[in-house]
Amino acid sequence: MKVLIIEDEKALSTSIFTYLNSEQYICEIASDYHSAMIKVGQYDYACIILDINLPGGSGLDILKELKAGKKAEGVLIISARNSLDDRLNGLNSGADDYLSKPFHLSELAARVAAIIRRKSFDGNNNLKFEELELDVFFKTVKVNDRILDLTRKEYDLLLYFISNKNKVINKSAIAEHLWGDNMDMADSYDFIYTHIKNLRKKLIQAGSRDYVKSVYGMGYKFTRS
Amino acid sequence: MNLFTRYFRINLLATVIIFILASLAFYFLLWYVSIAQMDEDLKIEQREIETYVQKYNHPPEPISVKDQNTSFAVSDIRNNYRKFNTIESPNPGEKENFRQISFTLPVNNQWLLFKVSKSLEGTEHLNRSIVIISLLTIIAILMVSLLINRWQLRRLWKPFYNTLSGVEKFRLGEKAIPHFENSSITEFNFLNTTISQFIRDADKEYFLLKEFTENASHELQTPLAIVRSTLDVMMQDEKLSESQSNSLQAANSAIQKMSRLNQSLLLLNKIENRQFSNINSFDFKTLVQEKMSDWQELWQGRNLNISSSLESATVSMNEQLAEMMISNLFSNAARHTPDGGHIQIKLSTKIFEISNTAADGPLDQEKLFKRFSKAGQTTDHHGLGLSIVKQIADVSAMNITYAFSKGDHIFSVHLNPASI
Repeated sequence: MKVLIIEDEKALSTSIFTYLNSEQYICEIASDYHSAMIKVGQYDYACIILDINLPGGSGLDILKELKAGKKAEGVLIISARNSLDDRLNGLNSGADDYLSKPFHLSELAARVAAIIRRKSFDGNNNLKFEELELDVFFKTVKVNDRILDLTRKEYDLLLYFISNKNKVINKSAIAEHLWGDNMDMADSYDFIYTHIKNLRKKLIQAGSRDYVKSVYGMGYKFTRS
Repeated sequence: MNLFTRYFRINLLATVIIFILASLAFYFLLWYVSIAQMDEDLKIEQREIETYVQKYNHPPEPISVKDQNTSFAVSDIRNNYRKFNTIESPNPGEKENFRQISFTLPVNNQWLLFKVSKSLEGTEHLNRSIVIISLLTIIAILMVSLLINRWQLRRLWKPFYNTLSGVEKFRLGEKAIPHFENSSITEFNFLNTTISQFIRDADKEYFLLKEFTENASHELQTPLAIVRSTLDVMMQDEKLSESQSNSLQAANSAIQKMSRLNQSLLLLNKIENRQFSNINSFDFKTLVQEKMSDWQELWQGRNLNISSSLESATVSMNEQLAEMMISNLFSNAARHTPDGGHIQIKLSTKIFEISNTAADGPLDQEKLFKRFSKAGQTTDHHGLGLSIVKQIADVSAMNITYAFSKGDHIFSVHLNPASI
């Protein structure tokens, strides 16, 4: 699946590229309005990560162009303008999601994955990882075809892990994802630990292997190795 | 007191005083003139009597008619003497006053004292009528002039009040700049052009400021985004040593703090600029319950004892702001409650109150809601939470107070009940 990163800050687009580029996604970068327009016109992407402020034009115009061309790309706006007006403007112009800077790459990856899932279902709501099977529509999890009873937060956590498999995820990114960023409890991540512990226990009891690895001092990693 | 009331009060008072003084002066002058006239008449009587005495050398028969009495007696005074005075009616049972002239006249080698008095009844009647008529005229003039003034003033000042209501409706940041109608009066036109200019300038400044804040935020948020994403990428390196991991994590939490600070400052600006202008009515209780369930496990993790008593309270304000206010108050309470302490949440129709166990004594009322003020020198928080709460209360026409009682911090928000 191809992902286009339209972002004028080279350092940022490189980070996004490095993080997302994997066996799952093939990433491309456009760093100004014109090269973005050319790429968008020539190729089809599964998802476009779009910055609003670009040299040579506005990201919103690219969005309008996409919608006019009836392209099926999912669009995720990333912008430093996090005022409500911009959020609404973006979403009204047909963007699928909006993420304001600064963000964690794990959050970006989760959003991109969600957009791609929504865009290219083909009637298939299932997401597989080894012996785990998630139904993203009904929000249920099966381990070896047996339904697992997870709380809402545990389910969100598992989905977040799978969207960021093989990546080290920062504790603060997990906290922000699960509780929103106005949940200002920066000093205490114990409650995350509790949820992760419970999720792990439930997965192992249901016969799954233990994929959650704790990474010293930083966070967690969901990996099969 | 408005302009008209004030003006009419002064005007009325002055007019009434002037009219009363004038009426009094008028009355006394009239009285004086009538008495002088009466005295002239009495002098004529005197002359008639003198003529009579010269002619016949004896005094005339004293005659008393209804309005006039004449009498004489032997006088002690032996020279020419004349005096006027006002006496009560010589006829018993009558209440009217008489004007009397007393004079002496030598008749047949003896001095006689004559007294002639005339009734003042007619004069008094006349005077009273004149005064009543003039009083009525004064009242009529007063009323008419008041009405004319009022009507005329309202008409004259109408442009002023139009301008006033235009300015009152104006909100900075809303694109509609009030339009003032031209008036035929120079001062009002001057006022209007001055205000228009002022509003345009303020509006321009406001948008410049808004633009500045937005630009500043953009400029700040992009480097923050770069640092954060770079750290996220670096974290993926499996060969990191423990000390490198620690350094990374330290940088990460600093960036976290910085972006939160930036976000809060932006939020404060946005609230100040009244960018949350969308106001609706909703039940505050539902929102408090939602937020409480969000926070439940965070509180449990800290072993905090939570109690609540909630009543329905329909408020009218921006819902997003209400949510932020509750979140910030909860977060503030949680941060400053020692482990194992208690938080009490109360909601009535008028007051939302949250109290928590204090780690230390009362907080400084002065600094409490100021930006970057921190209780104790905890460095893990930026100290903007309560400023945000205060700002939200301000723009939502609510009031927030702090009290310290029995070892508890108590924050009370006096809600703005929806008018239904």
